[in-house]
Amino acid sequence: MDIIAKVSRGTKMDQIYLPKNRSGLYLGSYVTIQAIIPPKSKETLFFYHISKLEPIKQKIVEEVFSVIDQTIESYDNIILTGSFLEKGFHFNDLDLLLVTSDKIEAKPLEEAIEKITGIKTQVLIIDAKALLQGLAMDPLYQAMLSRCITKKRLIYRYQRSINYKLLDLHLLGSEALTRECDLLDGKEKYKLARNMVAIFLFLKGKKVTFKSIESEIQRKLWISSDEIKNNSGDKKIFRKTCQHLYNETFSLILNAAKSQQTNRIVHRKSH
Amino acid sequence: MPQNRNKRIELFIANLTNVIVHRILEIAVDNKEIASKYKKEIEASLKLTKKYREQINPIQSPLPEKQALAIRQKLLNKAEIRLSSRISQGYKNLHLDQVEEFVEAALKELKII
Repeated sequence: MDIIAKVSRGTKMDQIYLPKNRSGLYLGSYVTIQAIIPPKSKETLFFYHISKLEPIKQKIVEEVFSVIDQTIESYDNIILTGSFLEKGFHFNDLDLLLVTSDKIEAKPLEEAIEKITGIKTQVLIIDAKALLQGLAMDPLYQAMLSRCITKKRLIYRYQRSINYKLLDLHLLGSEALTRECDLLDGKEKYKLARNMVAIFLFLKGKKVTFKSIESEIQRKLWISSDEIKNNSGDKKIFRKTCQHLYNETFSLILNAAKSQQTNRIVHRKSH
Repeated sequence: MPQNRNKRIELFIANLTNVIVHRILEIAVDNKEIASKYKKEIEASLKLTKKYREQINPIQSPLPEKQALAIRQKLLNKAEIRLSSRISQGYKNLHLDQVEEFVEAALKELKII
């Protein structure tokens, strides 16, 4: 027999009143008293450009967010992005952005999440200002936030700004595609191709989303993302199209450097 | 085969040049905090450089002096050309004088000299 009752204040000891009219819990018998845990209210998460997510993945996301909730005292938002949100179970890891201005070590948090989910986790701790700066200057930040799950609603406003030096640094990473693709595996190739295409779209003033990157890969590199990931398709053509797009993107960066320099000179002369 | 060896050395130099240029560009970026986030971007080139080094004998000890000097010179030239092309387009804060220092360090790290 279970009875739900309230603990009330007594003078010397607090007490719980039981109704006289009851079956069981007889006088003199020993009982245990247990607190009732209030049922968890169902959490609302925010999904951005995710048409479908497998129920098991959704459970993992809820679990991950609750681990962070219990571990971190205060934060502005939690953003889950990356390959985990792709259809199927071919993801590499869990990519998380923890938006907070507090100084937090990512490692213990990554370990706590890995312990519960068994999935390799990468947590990037970033404050809101740096996130906005990243969104304004870095095409990959824009891509990341174009498809994600967040704990709180995403509200941000930024103006795109071209920092040619950062884009150049970014693009250099993809240079390996233009020389020797054969030594890279499919996933590495895809990562570098995606990087290059995102920079290209950004410099062209186009939207940088996972969808736009996928279609631009097909348009510019004549190959689908899946073919790159599976390391299939004509390698010679792939290297050639990569070389072409790399050169095109690099000249856009140089043009940006040149025009910023010219603007500066004009600006100086007008003063 | 010597032909293969030469090809590997060429690819080793090309990838290492990329790494050196990346390191110099990193310094040129005005916002150091942001620049430090881009260290990972060059991993693919660094990985390939190491792969090629593992295919160039002798693996565990430095290369013969003449060959090591030739690699060093090629690296210096390539890195300087790539950076100069940027400077001519209006790039700021690129310090060509740092190239030699970075090349030396990288060659020692990879056991070329």
